[in-house]
Amino acid sequence: MGVKTKDLSSFPPFLRPSLPPLLSPIPSYPQHPTPPLETQLVHVTREEHLSLSLSQRHRDDHGDDQAAAVQPLLPDHRLLRAVGGEGGWLPPAVYAPRPPEEVPQLLPVPLSEFPDAPVAELHDLFCKKLQQCCVLFDFLDCVADLKGKEIKRAALNELVESVATSRGVLIEPLYPEAIKMISVNIFRTLPPSENPEFDPEEDEPTLEASWPHLQLVYEFFLRFLESPDFQPSMAKRYVDQKFVLQTILHRVYGKLLGLRAYIRKQINNIFLRFIYETEHFNGVAELLEILGSIINGFALPLKSEHKQFLVRVLIPLHTLAYCVVQFMEKDATVTEYIIRGLLKYWPKTCTQKEVMFLGEIEEILDVIEPSQFIRVQEPLFKQIAACISSPHFQVAERALYFWNNEYILSLIEENCQVILPLVFSTLYRVSKEHWNQTIVSLIYNVLKTFMEMNSKLFDDLTASYKGDEAVSGEGGAVARPGGAPGAPPPDGG
Amino acid sequence: MKDLQSVDSLLLKELKLCCAKESSFLPRDSGLRILEAAPAENHNAVSAKCRDANVEELWGLTSFFGYSAQTFVQAVNMLDRFLTIMKVQPKHLPCIGVCCLHMAAKMVEEEHVLSPTRELIRISHSKFTVSDLGRMEKIISEKLGSPEPQAVTALTFLHLYRSAFEALTAGREELPSIGTLEAQLKACTCRLVFSKAKPSVLALSLLAQELNALQSTTAMKAVQQLQKHLKISEGELLHWREQVGRCMAQYYSGECTKPDNKKLVWIVSRRTAQNLQANRFCVPGLPTIPEGNWDESESEDSCEDMSCEEDSLCGSPGSDGGGAYFPSTFRSTCRE
Repeated sequence: MGVKTKDLSSFPPFLRPSLPPLLSPIPSYPQHPTPPLETQLVHVTREEHLSLSLSQRHRDDHGDDQAAAVQPLLPDHRLLRAVGGEGGWLPPAVYAPRPPEEVPQLLPVPLSEFPDAPVAELHDLFCKKLQQCCVLFDFLDCVADLKGKEIKRAALNELVESVATSRGVLIEPLYPEAIKMISVNIFRTLPPSENPEFDPEEDEPTLEASWPHLQLVYEFFLRFLESPDFQPSMAKRYVDQKFVLQTILHRVYGKLLGLRAYIRKQINNIFLRFIYETEHFNGVAELLEILGSIINGFALPLKSEHKQFLVRVLIPLHTLAYCVVQFMEKDATVTEYIIRGLLKYWPKTCTQKEVMFLGEIEEILDVIEPSQFIRVQEPLFKQIAACISSPHFQVAERALYFWNNEYILSLIEENCQVILPLVFSTLYRVSKEHWNQTIVSLIYNVLKTFMEMNSKLFDDLTASYKGDEAVSGEGGAVARPGGAPGAPPPDGG
Repeated sequence: MKDLQSVDSLLLKELKLCCAKESSFLPRDSGLRILEAAPAENHNAVSAKCRDANVEELWGLTSFFGYSAQTFVQAVNMLDRFLTIMKVQPKHLPCIGVCCLHMAAKMVEEEHVLSPTRELIRISHSKFTVSDLGRMEKIISEKLGSPEPQAVTALTFLHLYRSAFEALTAGREELPSIGTLEAQLKACTCRLVFSKAKPSVLALSLLAQELNALQSTTAMKAVQQLQKHLKISEGELLHWREQVGRCMAQYYSGECTKPDNKKLVWIVSRRTAQNLQANRFCVPGLPTIPEGNWDESESEDSCEDMSCEEDSLCGSPGSDGGGAYFPSTFRSTCRE
């Protein structure tokens, strides 16, 4: 049983509600996975392409006869191919901006000295510089485009200075440009999302080689976020921060081996604070995704440090499905801890949480090994029975829906002697008492399933149940052991 | 007749009476043969397999709605009789089955136990409507003769036999409970082959098989006495005992057969359906990061560059690259 994948293209880009400063714990991110890389870049290039003057576009599309007259900053097609990921490369429309001499220098000028008109000019310059910095360079080749690289580096520096020191620089039209520039530069260093094989050999030079620019981009990003003018409400319209920061952290973890223990510890702390201090926490889901890929890379046998982490940190969290499953697939013996942990922390008052827990249990059961299942089946199905009889119909529905899962069904079938007695009387009772007709219908499905699995056992339990009912109906206080498999049915029917 | 003296004479008379009546409630033999002969996956004619599946479905509904074994047996009797006199298309079988069940329940059950037809239809995920059911009811009662008296079935005989046995063995033997016998009869009813048997014979065979397991000579003698009294041939009894034996072997084996889940319809509320879709977690697009072989804690120097900016990321005081893995403040909290 493997984890389920989802078609990424079905998810819309999700925008964060707020963008906290970089120094606080990792901010909140949406649950959806990122849109594939190419769409991001195509978006960038198409926009830039459109912003070109006609002559330049013509030059790009039809070869460069007049190129000699100008010194364009040409994109590196090899890099584009690496980023595109599917063999083809993006159209060469990451444009050649105007020659550097034409772009005047940005000066960090205090806003107060210049009312209106110069401010507009300032913004325009800023914008152009941003666009200029969208061009990517090949650092693998140390001698290529030296001039262009230097111009970009200078531009980035100016941008950093400007954001750091000026006021009133960040106006709304600049947000998309800034984000775009950051995205273009950062994303290109990542492996394509289709590539499941992380190859350190292939990717390493790319990141470190372009560090001269990348470092400035990060710094710009930091200043951008820290700027007193920064408006999260505006930024949220243009940013999918989840992808940016999550992937940064992922890359950092992947590359900077010396930082790994530190990062893991920080993640630990964040999670622990989440569990024991706050109700809501931002970014946990995304951190967990990163953690998922970290756990996937754990060497066997698992270090006790990692197992401790599982027990003390992951289990109390209620959004742990992927990570937990990764753990289980590494070392099946942790399964029992996981399930017992979930049962121990089972939510008593919050319906939504309970439904979520049930979802987690199902994901876990989907990959559980039969030998592990046997160890936990009794307490587990007692809890499931309790959920079925919950007055909240969503909880009951979710619990009953387990029987629609083929693998879980096969586990139940193998152990039906133990499981059926645990849930039988609950099922019958609820079918008579529950107000919700959907639940009643689902219970029929479950009972029918059991009937087909083992009709003898089912009949025995039915008889026993009816016997119990008859006794209690007469007001008798006789306690009968109910539901034991193989128990002789009462006399007289 | 000396041996049967202990048995109440009224009971014996009843037994004889039922024996006389039972043939009028038997499904037509020729029809049964047609059913048995029909190929399993036929869209034009009902086969034995098809009928058996439908009967099992009826048992499920009987059980779920809390109807008695008598209702079930009556329903199946009606079904079999109808199927052996009318040529029916398989697609109508569910409707006929549910209709028979409803008619039987009306005959047998008390008013407050009866479920309305729309509930029967809803739970059984049937495609037909309440009015379809109404029309079918008319057809069935017309064909089988109405008003329909309760049929004499193997269940009738089981009850009578058991009472007789109690008298015959004078309470010395532990007899199987009526509940057990009913369950076994139900298992047999789910197979068309047993519809060929005379109810008196079937019931005795069942009892005989069960008592055989007890290995009591008294009980077996009682069987023989009843057999003589009702003039049941040895050959017939042996034949059906064998059939019952085979059926019981399978029933008692408790073999789990993988239920055919595809037949069931799982309807959930909209909210749960949304929840199910949303929470299907997906594999993140992040590639695996392999754990290093060398000691990662050795090269902590690069931490220093980050620590000044990352202070607020540290959850516990004084945390740097080389602290305890679980800060002590949290360790104590965990223990709670």
